[in-house]
Amino acid sequence: MVSKEEIEYVAKLMRIEVDDHVVHIDRVQKMIAYFDILDKANVESEELIVKEQTVDNLRDDEYIPYDDKLIDHLKKYKNSYIRAPKMI
Amino acid sequence: MSIRISALKYIEEVKSGNLKVEEFISKTIERIQKVDSNLNAYLSINDDAVDQARKIDKKIKDGEKIGSCIGMPISIKDNICVKGTKTTCASKMLENFVAPYDATVISKLKNEDAIIIGKTNLDEFAMGLTTEFSAYGPSKNPWNTDYVPGGSSGGSSVAVSAHECIASLGSDTGGSVRNPASFCSIVGYKPTYGLISRSGLISYSNSIEQIGPMTKTVEDTAFLLNIIAGKDPKDNTTIDNQKEDYLDGIDSGVEGKKIGIIKEMSQDGVNPQVSSALKQAISNLESLGATFEEISIDMVEYSVAAYYTITATEAGSNLARYDNIRYGFDFDFEGYEFNSYISKARKNFGPEVTRRMILGGFVPSAGHSGKYLLKAMKVKDKLTVEVNEILNKVDMLISPTVPILPFKFGEKIDDPVALFLVDSNTVTANLTGKPAISVPFSISNGLPIGIQLMAKPLQDKMLLQAAYSLQNSVKLPEVPI
Repeated sequence: MVSKEEIEYVAKLMRIEVDDHVVHIDRVQKMIAYFDILDKANVESEELIVKEQTVDNLRDDEYIPYDDKLIDHLKKYKNSYIRAPKMI
Repeated sequence: MSIRISALKYIEEVKSGNLKVEEFISKTIERIQKVDSNLNAYLSINDDAVDQARKIDKKIKDGEKIGSCIGMPISIKDNICVKGTKTTCASKMLENFVAPYDATVISKLKNEDAIIIGKTNLDEFAMGLTTEFSAYGPSKNPWNTDYVPGGSSGGSSVAVSAHECIASLGSDTGGSVRNPASFCSIVGYKPTYGLISRSGLISYSNSIEQIGPMTKTVEDTAFLLNIIAGKDPKDNTTIDNQKEDYLDGIDSGVEGKKIGIIKEMSQDGVNPQVSSALKQAISNLESLGATFEEISIDMVEYSVAAYYTITATEAGSNLARYDNIRYGFDFDFEGYEFNSYISKARKNFGPEVTRRMILGGFVPSAGHSGKYLLKAMKVKDKLTVEVNEILNKVDMLISPTVPILPFKFGEKIDDPVALFLVDSNTVTANLTGKPAISVPFSISNGLPIGIQLMAKPLQDKMLLQAAYSLQNSVKLPEVPI
């Protein structure tokens, strides 16, 4: 069984603050415990199927004009810059 | 004039001059006003619907060219973008987000003169199967309002079933169209992966999710598919369906078709009434000339675990974009540094989305990915190989859509694993890219039961023909509301 501390550590890395441990951590622990069933599937030696996606299958890398000024949908911007919190 | 009619009947009535679009739209809105305070199918209503109807009536009167939907009211799950309207995903995170463009499916419907009557409720970001995880309260099953309507496209299934619209579009990641269709006695369709463009569908798990029609009849699903299916330059996963006409020859029957009964979805853990409905469905199709054999798919046992592992991983990445800076929910960043600001943003997610975000961080993380995500992906691939091999021997597969009957509110919400297992018959079609349909087939003690048929990719037309035969082999009661 995965420990609650391990789950809490990942939650922190995901920038998720957990107030209610019963609702969040305990249930995530139950979910992960259920996933242990994958160990019985005996698929370790299976190869993953990789699908090729060739460049000519992609759409052309062209600028498509858009009739709406999307930055106007934001509340915090200055000229053409989006305002965001300080990184450091 | 009744609003309890199918899309094809609506078209016939409007074309013959028996029905005015404005009258139908007004009656539909009256119906919504009357029943929806209790059912909670809708999160928002189109205030311009009557005006739009009037314009279509005028076009008809003036003999102008008119689209094939002729003003029929269609509702849209609130994770699909409709330009200028709120698209909330039933989340507090997007409560002020107004979509700046139409999803491709919406453009196609509008081009055919459909009226988007409103946006329907769902489990937050489509994560759930009861609508109990909606931030705006659950929708209620019109067959019995003490029971869940299924989910995550529960608002859509309620709206169609309770005649609050003619048809709806939902999205199906692990059964989210078929499960509520089964619980509310309507048709729910998960097309071949890539058949319908997802441009404008708010992403949850891109490798498996699809938009799908939810309708009163199989013919209506075929009709909508004719409009919304096909290649879209805005979605590189779409496939060219050669403009196939899904409605043409829908009454071709099932004579000579071989159908496999999936053992793992039809025996252990299946409710006796559901089991009996499946037997009856098999018997009905047999009498129409189909033949049956029991088949086994070993990987089905692991499919739900693989499904939740893969979808949580993709959700963890997809939902990282909700950072409080874009998408409507803006608050002041003074006093926050970047990490604390993002943490504050993520508090706007409800409990299930929060759990899946943690899960989505955990299962692909260093030290854990080999045990969880890699194995899940291998199960997905092996399952695909197994299903492909079986579909080389039989034309279609049959099972109950959901192994149990609709259940009461609160019954499973506290038990995540019990909720997982409700998906056990539907996730295979998503993980393997197959088309699958839920056909309303039986009512047991007032609760609906749906039967699922599945086929090879791009065999959507044959699947709809079989579903049509199955639908017409029973007569079901009207919804009691």
